[in-house]
Amino acid sequence: MEHTAETSRRQFIKTCGCGAAALYVGGCATTGSESTGIAHASAAGPIPKDNWAALAQSALARVQKGGCEYGDIRLIETRTQSVRALDRRISGVSDRVSAGYGIRALYKGAWGFAAGSEFTPDAIRAVAGDAVEIARASATLMKTPVLLAREPRHRRQVTTPFEIDPFSVPLADKCDLLLATCENLHHRDGIARSRGNLWAQRDVKHFASTEGSVIDFDLLATGGGFGATAVADGDFQSRSFTLPYLRCGYEQVNWADFTNQAERIAEQAVEKVHAKKPPPGKYDLVLDPAHLALTIHESCGHPTELDRVLGYEANYAGTSFLTPEKLGKFRYGSEHVTLMADNTQPRGLASTGFDDDGVACQRWPIVDRGILVGYSTNREVANQIDERRSRGSNRADSWSSVPIVRISNIGLEPGKATLDSLIEGVENGILIGGMGSFSIDQKRYNFQFGGDCFWEIKNGKRGAMLKDVIYQGITPEFWASCDGVADLAHRRQYGFINCGKGQPGQSGWMTHAASHARFRGVNVIDPRA
Amino acid sequence: MSTTLASKETFERIAALILSRSTADDTLVGLSDSHSATLRFANNQVVQNVAARTPSLSVRVAIGKRVGRATTNQLGRASILSTLRRAEEIAGLAPDDPEFLPSLPPQEYDSAMRFVDATANARPGHIAQRVRPVVRACDERGLSGAGIMTNQSTVTGLAASSDLFAFDRSTSATFSLTATAPDSTGWVMTRHRDINGLRQGERTDSAVDKALRSKNPRRIEPGHYTVILEPSATAGLLGPLLWSLGAKSYHKGNSALAGKLGSAISDVRLTLKSDPSNPRLLGSRFNGDGMPQRPQTWVENGVLKTLHYDRFTALEHGVEANPGPDAVTMSIGGPTARGVQELIEQTERGILITNFWYIRYVNASDLTITGMTRDGTFLIEDGKVVCGLRNFRFHDSPLRAFQQVDAATQPMESVTLERGKMLLPAVKLPEFNLSSVTEF
Repeated sequence: MEHTAETSRRQFIKTCGCGAAALYVGGCATTGSESTGIAHASAAGPIPKDNWAALAQSALARVQKGGCEYGDIRLIETRTQSVRALDRRISGVSDRVSAGYGIRALYKGAWGFAAGSEFTPDAIRAVAGDAVEIARASATLMKTPVLLAREPRHRRQVTTPFEIDPFSVPLADKCDLLLATCENLHHRDGIARSRGNLWAQRDVKHFASTEGSVIDFDLLATGGGFGATAVADGDFQSRSFTLPYLRCGYEQVNWADFTNQAERIAEQAVEKVHAKKPPPGKYDLVLDPAHLALTIHESCGHPTELDRVLGYEANYAGTSFLTPEKLGKFRYGSEHVTLMADNTQPRGLASTGFDDDGVACQRWPIVDRGILVGYSTNREVANQIDERRSRGSNRADSWSSVPIVRISNIGLEPGKATLDSLIEGVENGILIGGMGSFSIDQKRYNFQFGGDCFWEIKNGKRGAMLKDVIYQGITPEFWASCDGVADLAHRRQYGFINCGKGQPGQSGWMTHAASHARFRGVNVIDPRA
Repeated sequence: MSTTLASKETFERIAALILSRSTADDTLVGLSDSHSATLRFANNQVVQNVAARTPSLSVRVAIGKRVGRATTNQLGRASILSTLRRAEEIAGLAPDDPEFLPSLPPQEYDSAMRFVDATANARPGHIAQRVRPVVRACDERGLSGAGIMTNQSTVTGLAASSDLFAFDRSTSATFSLTATAPDSTGWVMTRHRDINGLRQGERTDSAVDKALRSKNPRRIEPGHYTVILEPSATAGLLGPLLWSLGAKSYHKGNSALAGKLGSAISDVRLTLKSDPSNPRLLGSRFNGDGMPQRPQTWVENGVLKTLHYDRFTALEHGVEANPGPDAVTMSIGGPTARGVQELIEQTERGILITNFWYIRYVNASDLTITGMTRDGTFLIEDGKVVCGLRNFRFHDSPLRAFQQVDAATQPMESVTLERGKMLLPAVKLPEFNLSSVTEF
């Protein structure tokens, strides 16, 4: 639905001219290969990093002295910039720098983790001592000790490729762009509110483990978007334009062309507030890639996080209906449904070369032609279903958080259809674009989704806009009703930076790619009935 | 454990440095310094045990109406000054913010004590000892226990070039347990300033009891049912109403409450207040602007009385600004039931709901929300709980569901994952829309 995203993609392919292989120095490594003379990321940020490697080794020595069989440390400096516009004004510009380190210690198969932010040898050793004390306390409440799946030793460097450093773009340019976008949104009668934002984050990270892995990261991500709310006849409706969260530079903002897109978004917001609600009933749905990103995330991503499956999240995010005895047997969807996890996919948020266990990023199937075949795992839980190696999906959202299993970059494999051919095959249906309301039970079985924009499909043709479309379904029944996926040319990826999980709560990052897909006979409901 | 947080004197020193070096017209310094430890258990053993100290210093400057904000977690002199410079640079480049207002003048704050040493000083070994009997109780009943025990201490400071100065220290401790049987779960969550107020033993018995009583859940058809919402479920339904109190959306027309100030929005016995100094709750002393938190009545006898006016919207409309609802109490006037049990006894046929989960807006214009029941859903017949039920998805709106409250208890403590801590009654509501059912 977002044709700028299409332009962006072509531009990306043209300008980057790079496949996965060119993206990361260490991104596709599956075995540890030594390289000498690792240049520590020392470029950006106010925190000196020359002593990071030495500080890391001193913390690890303290962990080993405490009798621990394993330990690791991540030293991180994060810089985040966000510029927000609201109702024709710049409502907030913020620039955040956060630097610190998190240390894990495994003592007799029990975990401890402590984090601090003072970069002195004494402070870091004290925090390492805390991690040991905590692990020893944990050890008093263990039945089955943690056993880590094996991983080769890695000594690598990972850098996100980009064309334009978002932190080098003058702030005035960003403000001007958002204000001009808001102005264009308000240009149309009926628009009551406008909003826009631009966001960028850079993470410089040094990982070291007692097994001898040393990995340096210099990671970048950008994102943003804008939206408008129209008010009419006692109702209000919004329409949004999403600049996906991706690992790339500010170039994607330039290609997105906010100011021109604003006209279309405002027009559609007004059309939407005056649109009809569809009567409840069974409809064939054609879903766009931005919408599918959320559907995939909630109904496939979460139930295939192995820690959830094993009960680790029972008190918070929940468990999963995709229990291990279903692996290799359970029919999750139709033969058109192949969902691949790909943490080597260019620009994917989880494409970081290595995860926070120091495990190399990989590509593997989660659902193969409809059958459940895989999970996202870390070194701790992989062993519990007899997988010999972690899938490299263990991630923390900051230096002060402990890594937990995270959804990977899971995407729907392209089919052979086109958007037009999918629509042509529908007598009575709805085309849904973008993300809206979503809710799903704690085993990820009974779900409900809205969207950002809706069009009626009648006799193979797209018609007028609709509003307040909500569909409700059961995960495997919904995916079983998929009877067509569009081809590679339709494929887009959308990232999330706010995937909530864990106690204390953390925000996960991952990207989901998809082409348009069609689902037959889905239950569209009237929530107010 | 390195748990020493910034003292008031340290914050005064940091603030003085920034305020003396700032070249801006208006400068606001904010410090938050927190130490938090969480033992997390699942499958009756520890799966995660963490501690972190996370300071954060933010500097907001304004040059005329141009505003810049920068934040750091490094509290050394050089980092503090470079953060100020970054904020000034941003303000120098930003366009005018027509809604900018200078920092508040000095304010008076309540003196309620929010810090408990026992919570701040609990060490990892001590926390593990508290969790041991919880895990044992689950083990002994053949249940799998998952949950957390958290202790946290936080320091918050605000200082501005207007001589505004605010400082507070607070603690909180949280215990939560989900007890899981093969086809049922039971849940509790509690939070107090004092770790000794958690009463985790009693709470554990309640979660275990819920899990055991909801075994072999029956599937009944979705539909409109009389429901008894325990306080945590009441919290889930109430949340969107609390978030709709903003005056800006109210006046711009994108609020479900638009035009309803002074009108009845619920059952005439329903009253909604907030009181940040209530010792049973976890209210704060001031908000991010340095505005003192104070008691407010939002809904009185069903009538919408007050909106949350941010400073700019208040000025536009010539009314007094107020911080949003913090430390909320909802009550139902008139005679009340002694407890949930009495509500059950009064019910011929209905459904008892422990908690809601994954609550999201479906339609913001009438506050229709959806979500799932979770961790203890029961069928009531002839005044008795007869069996557990498979969980439901619901669709309803607080503006509709609270139109008629058939019966209620006194406000009780409610702590939920999605709503924090409030004092809320268990309520009996007719015709609640349980729209579909899930498989567990």
